[in-house]
Amino acid sequence: MNSSTAAEIEGAGARWGQALSWLIRNRQSLALPVMFLAALVIFSLGSERFLTADNLTNVGRQSVYLLIVSLGQFIVIVNGGLDLSVGSVVSLTSVVGSLVMAAVFAAFPDAPMLAIAAGFAMSVVIGTGAGVLNGLGVSFLRIPPFMMTLGMSSVLFGVTLFMSAGRPIYGMPPLLGEIFGFGRLGGFPVPVLAAIALVVIVYVVMEWTRFGRHIYAAGGNPRAAALSGVRTGRVTIAGFVLCGLLAAVSGFLLTARLGTGEANVGSSLPLESIAACVISGVALAGGQGRTFSVMIGTLLILLVQNGLNLMEVGAYAQTMATGAILIFAMAIARH
Amino acid sequence: MQTASQDLRAAPVPGGQPPVLRVRDLTKRYDKNIALDHVSLDFLPGEVHVLFGENGAGKSTLISIVAGANAPSDGYLEIGDKKGAFQSVGESQACGIRAVFQEFSLIPYRTVAENIVLGAEPLGRFGLLSKSAARDEARQLIADLGFNLDVDARIASLTRGKQQMVEICKAFRRPPRLLILDEPTASLSEQDSLALLELLRRFRANGTAVIYVTHRMHEIPAIGDKVSVLRDGQLIATVGADTEEDELIRLMTGRQMSKIYPKPRDPVGDVGLALENVTLAAERGVTQVRNASVSVRAGEIVGIAGLVGCGKSELAQACFGLRKITGGTLRIKDEEVRIATPGQAIDRGLWYSPSDRRQEGLALNRSVRENISLSSYSFGPLKGWWNKPARESQLLADLAGQVELDPGRLNHAVGDLSGGNQQKVLFAKSLGQEIDVFVFDEPTVGVDIGACLSIYKCLAALSAKGAAILLVSSNLPELMGLTHRMLVMSEGRFVAEFQRDDYDEHRILEQFF
Repeated sequence: MNSSTAAEIEGAGARWGQALSWLIRNRQSLALPVMFLAALVIFSLGSERFLTADNLTNVGRQSVYLLIVSLGQFIVIVNGGLDLSVGSVVSLTSVVGSLVMAAVFAAFPDAPMLAIAAGFAMSVVIGTGAGVLNGLGVSFLRIPPFMMTLGMSSVLFGVTLFMSAGRPIYGMPPLLGEIFGFGRLGGFPVPVLAAIALVVIVYVVMEWTRFGRHIYAAGGNPRAAALSGVRTGRVTIAGFVLCGLLAAVSGFLLTARLGTGEANVGSSLPLESIAACVISGVALAGGQGRTFSVMIGTLLILLVQNGLNLMEVGAYAQTMATGAILIFAMAIARH
Repeated sequence: MQTASQDLRAAPVPGGQPPVLRVRDLTKRYDKNIALDHVSLDFLPGEVHVLFGENGAGKSTLISIVAGANAPSDGYLEIGDKKGAFQSVGESQACGIRAVFQEFSLIPYRTVAENIVLGAEPLGRFGLLSKSAARDEARQLIADLGFNLDVDARIASLTRGKQQMVEICKAFRRPPRLLILDEPTASLSEQDSLALLELLRRFRANGTAVIYVTHRMHEIPAIGDKVSVLRDGQLIATVGADTEEDELIRLMTGRQMSKIYPKPRDPVGDVGLALENVTLAAERGVTQVRNASVSVRAGEIVGIAGLVGCGKSELAQACFGLRKITGGTLRIKDEEVRIATPGQAIDRGLWYSPSDRRQEGLALNRSVRENISLSSYSFGPLKGWWNKPARESQLLADLAGQVELDPGRLNHAVGDLSGGNQQKVLFAKSLGQEIDVFVFDEPTVGVDIGACLSIYKCLAALSAKGAAILLVSSNLPELMGLTHRMLVMSEGRFVAEFQRDDYDEHRILEQFF
């Protein structure tokens, strides 16, 4: 009653005040859409090629690889961790997957699908293995996720360089690129469909299963979760395994797209995937964040990179832009 | 008690001395809500002024404005000839106001001395820190205040009670004219509480004005001079500290409260929980609990009383597999068990509710819904891999009703709730699965009377349904009101047992030391 009389007295001016205070209160959830719109407007003005169906489809296609990695990063961050080894997992998958595919294809040139299946299986093994090691280190050895995955990142990257001897790897079946790199299913690019399927799976796991509840709860307060009977160690390991698996799938698709196994494909992914999550409002402290926002956050990063590309800003400046967006998003999240 | 306090008031404070602080028409609005509604109060030197009211009544808002942590929407403060509101905590401190809040501002991995001098460290030669001067100053201050604190101890290794003493030392580095204490005894043991109240009497004698926020009614006549009761942001009345408890409750809640504690159920059944000669693994070379035996029957509420740190919480944790039992046996429903993880305990029908809701009990940034139903998905009616929104809502409506929690709050983050409501959420968690044996550690720590009453009602209902309840509490009146019998623990051993008919506060307290 108090408030309604107050509003009548102050009249229309109060409505603006209320709108303003609503904006201020919701600034954290508004930050992402506002940045998204701002990017669209700025780059449309900067280049007439930006706001075309062709270009936006292109952005969508390019964002697939980061998006899949970000989904894994999202799971780990919500659980209260951080995974800096995603880039090395992608690189290792690319190199070792390629080596396996090339070897099997050389041995059985008539069965390209066999080579592809072997490469994919290898990716799954690498992703799971890295995830298990990260998870064990964090949950049982109690190494902070930051250090564990940073160390892991270096170990895996060393293995990658050793296996590739610093050279790109060729000799995979052409079918790999035809299906998983450039293929279309019902008119949609296969990688995009794969990414959409993975977004839906991660959404369902996080929002509609007991495991998802446990990830959120253990991230929000690990002690409280443990006292409620949640086996937090297992949950952490499972989170890192999912993250490793998603990174491995991303590495596999990237290899298919590029047609070569490269040791350096993943180097920018740790920062970009963390940035995508933070921009999307995923709290680094754990326990908070939504699957679909991560998709928007990833698109925003790719949109900015694409826009800068079209405005003929060099690659170095784009790296600067990604870092600046991360810092800016963090500043908003903190205030 | 009464005469002593009158003596202290009479001697050093000349009559008619002006108030240290006047508060006039203080109002605070948050959007549509009014947290404080035209409150006017005077705080006199040498007077302990108790603020009393339920959570959300406006006490915290009032003291945060006085401490400079919050700005009023309307109204002003008057100190000496200055009128207005503080722009910062620093301004408030410059006027001689110090506040000790429930959340401490201590650096956990630094020593007591370093924390006490923090912000104005004594310097030695070449402008470098003088550690010896800091320790001397800290030691002097601790001695002046009559505390028992090691200046070299790290904050993280101290109990909450000791941490509070450090916080008070910080406040007294420059003696304040007005000291604000926000529920200082909420997390203190009986012994530390008594020491604190004794200390307050000395401050009062020195002419310090004290604002004292508490939920513990028995402290009011022991320490207070005046009580101001707040309800829904309004000042209801300012009365003498010797006002009857019933009257205070009536003022606070606006309703008559015939009795606080429900009577415990009469006949009790078979043994639900039995500890026999339980000894716990030593920690830092000190054995926590030795040869403790206690049994709790179905429908029975057994209390464990004792000082903070006497081992009673550790014993409660051991029932849940949180501490290693090195000797003796644990039986649940007449079956000898070894519990290694909380999950095993819950599977066998034993629930433990921790004392620290923020650190151990609740995921504060998750919703009430997710917090309450968390273990129901592994152990309760929602068991299974997939979320079950419909059955979950049904279960939650039921549990919220039982603990008298507003069902409209189910989707709010737990951290946004008041302390009392958070405690209700913690209690509701224990009701979401089939449990026959409950171990509650401090189930009403730091919550208002309204929430206390809800929780007491729930405890009585559980006992009436035949649950065996082990109740660990530092709140002796609460234990005396709720339990069938009570054991006192001192230095890791049970030293006495009292039946309900023989309860006598002084005799029980004697066993604490």
